[in-house]
Amino acid sequence: MSYQEKKTIVSIISGMFVLVAYCVYVVGKYQSQAVSPNDLKFCGVIMLVFIGIGIAATIIIQILFHIALSVGIAVRERNCDEKVIEKEIARTIIEDEMDRLIELKAMRIGLIIGGIGFVAALVSAVFSYSVAVVLNIMFLSFGLGSLAEGAMSLYYYRKGIGDG
Amino acid sequence: MAEKFKITNSIRRRRFFADEMTQQELAEKAGVSRQTIIAIEAGKYSPSLELAFRIAHVFGVEIGEVFDYEVKRDSE
Repeated sequence: MSYQEKKTIVSIISGMFVLVAYCVYVVGKYQSQAVSPNDLKFCGVIMLVFIGIGIAATIIIQILFHIALSVGIAVRERNCDEKVIEKEIARTIIEDEMDRLIELKAMRIGLIIGGIGFVAALVSAVFSYSVAVVLNIMFLSFGLGSLAEGAMSLYYYRKGIGDG
Repeated sequence: MAEKFKITNSIRRRRFFADEMTQQELAEKAGVSRQTIIAIEAGKYSPSLELAFRIAHVFGVEIGEVFDYEVKRDSE
């Protein structure tokens, strides 16, 4: 498995972790009737907090992943000198045109899912659902879009992106 | 009748004749990752024109000697 695939799996796991944590927290709050479904402030605050947690978690997990990768390479090449190890690390994490193309294609899928969720949220507003439902559909669809983006990246790395 | 183009390449054979050049060596010379060379060799990725030229340059041949295409018709 290549570095890019491992990196994608790590970001999927971190994204999934944040999304599940959000769902558990928000569903728990609504079930216990601690907040009203029309409390716009609660929705805004909790989404901003979880967006922040998501960004921080992604950065921390990626840093830990890079450290683990570098340590792994250093252990494997322990008989070589420092320059060889550094070269090996640089060689492993190189990002080229195929990675960028896969990223763009996968991002398109993620944005389509986010867009569908946005429209679904507007439709739910038309049918007079509460603010919480509208905003949560929007938030979750972008979260799921991000996960789908990762899944599509993995798919393209495995299957290839053929002739255009 | 629609036609489809499939890009083929002779990278594996050229590596063999280039003193068994490894995929990693070719990747370094062409400035891409080994993963990309593996994908190109397996026909899973069609490189950009620039990368195709760079790969041909590594082998010291014209681009057409490394990459070719097959025309496939839908009925085939």
